[in-house]
Amino acid sequence: MTTLEQQKAKPEGRKDPWGPLLEKVGKTQDRAAYHALFEHFAPQIKYYAISNGLASHAEELVQEVFISIWRRSCLYDWRKAAASTWIFTIARNQRIDMLRKMKRSSAEMAIETEDLWQIPGDNEDEPVTSLHRLMSERRIRESLSLLPEEQITVIAKVYMEHKSHQMVADELEIPLGTVKSRVRLALNKLKVILQDQNV
Amino acid sequence: MTRHHPDSLSLMEYSAGNLSQPHALCIKLHLDQCPHCRSRVDTLDSLGAVMMDQQPKVSVSDTSFEQLLARIDSVPAEAAPAAKTPRLSPLQKLLGEDINQLPWKRQLGDVSVLDISDKFPEQNERVVLQKLVAGGKAPAHTHRGNETTIVLQGAFADQKGVFNQWDFVVLNEQDEHKPVAVGCEDCITLSVLSAPLKLTGTFTRMLNPFIR
Repeated sequence: MTTLEQQKAKPEGRKDPWGPLLEKVGKTQDRAAYHALFEHFAPQIKYYAISNGLASHAEELVQEVFISIWRRSCLYDWRKAAASTWIFTIARNQRIDMLRKMKRSSAEMAIETEDLWQIPGDNEDEPVTSLHRLMSERRIRESLSLLPEEQITVIAKVYMEHKSHQMVADELEIPLGTVKSRVRLALNKLKVILQDQNV
Repeated sequence: MTRHHPDSLSLMEYSAGNLSQPHALCIKLHLDQCPHCRSRVDTLDSLGAVMMDQQPKVSVSDTSFEQLLARIDSVPAEAAPAAKTPRLSPLQKLLGEDINQLPWKRQLGDVSVLDISDKFPEQNERVVLQKLVAGGKAPAHTHRGNETTIVLQGAFADQKGVFNQWDFVVLNEQDEHKPVAVGCEDCITLSVLSAPLKLTGTFTRMLNPFIR
């Protein structure tokens, strides 16, 4: 690693311990780094699979996600996403793919999952906005700890259980409007809502 | 550039991977042209990562990592994904180079349509391209259920404002509108419909079955 790269990577390394490991896998196929990532993220992904209703395919999803991580790690760019964010998008896409394969008829698919859901860094033309991206994960963690439980519950169901806002409303037996307003309040604190339309 | 964006709730369902392919396509086409919304989705993807981290963990089987290494070793020559070659946009993949040259079906007056639902065999929604000739008017209509639309070319205007290329709009039962194509290009939109539209003019009511 050159001195310049070290200087660039250093402050990031303190904030995101997983980014440098992912870069090692990408640059030198470092198996110790790969194993460390596996130890940390595999149990998360397994729970993600189970909560998404893929209990009998949970180990398989973990395998697919990590094969994908191995093959794509050379494309990982810490300036474009934190390692955990990058891994989340891979897990999400593999989950979508697995569900598609499970219900696929013989029909030919015109577009792939990755045409519709992009992994950060795949598009070279995309400008690097590192400051924003590095900020966001830490900020989210801090803001999330301040949210009331009922807002976190709703968000968790959308992300972890593959549920639409309507399905969350049905399950919790609360009106759809209440679900939406809880999400809006949460996203407001997370600064995702910057300029929603007044529809 | 674009002024009409998807709302945060839709972007969240997109980030969580919960949208159907046609809906995800509408969002993705907008994101490709809107740095503002792309940055919101980046934040939402990070929210997904934080959620995943804060949930319970389930230990994987003892042999899981060995299996992984065995798989990696057994396929050493597996080509890494090519990042250098620019990906075709999903629109080009679906519809080819020129959306003006598609086998459009002339409907009423200035409106042509093309149903592309069969490109999404796993979905139940109707996916429809609509073309309004430059300067042309569409008959007044409302929508049953929700209609998600993205402008692919040109621009249209209705009571709510002007919708330019890559603008994103969701219409429902309450929205009666009478779009007019503005500018010098034909206006082409991609819509995902949960139910057919309903004409509201007196004469056009009898033509209802022919318009979606």
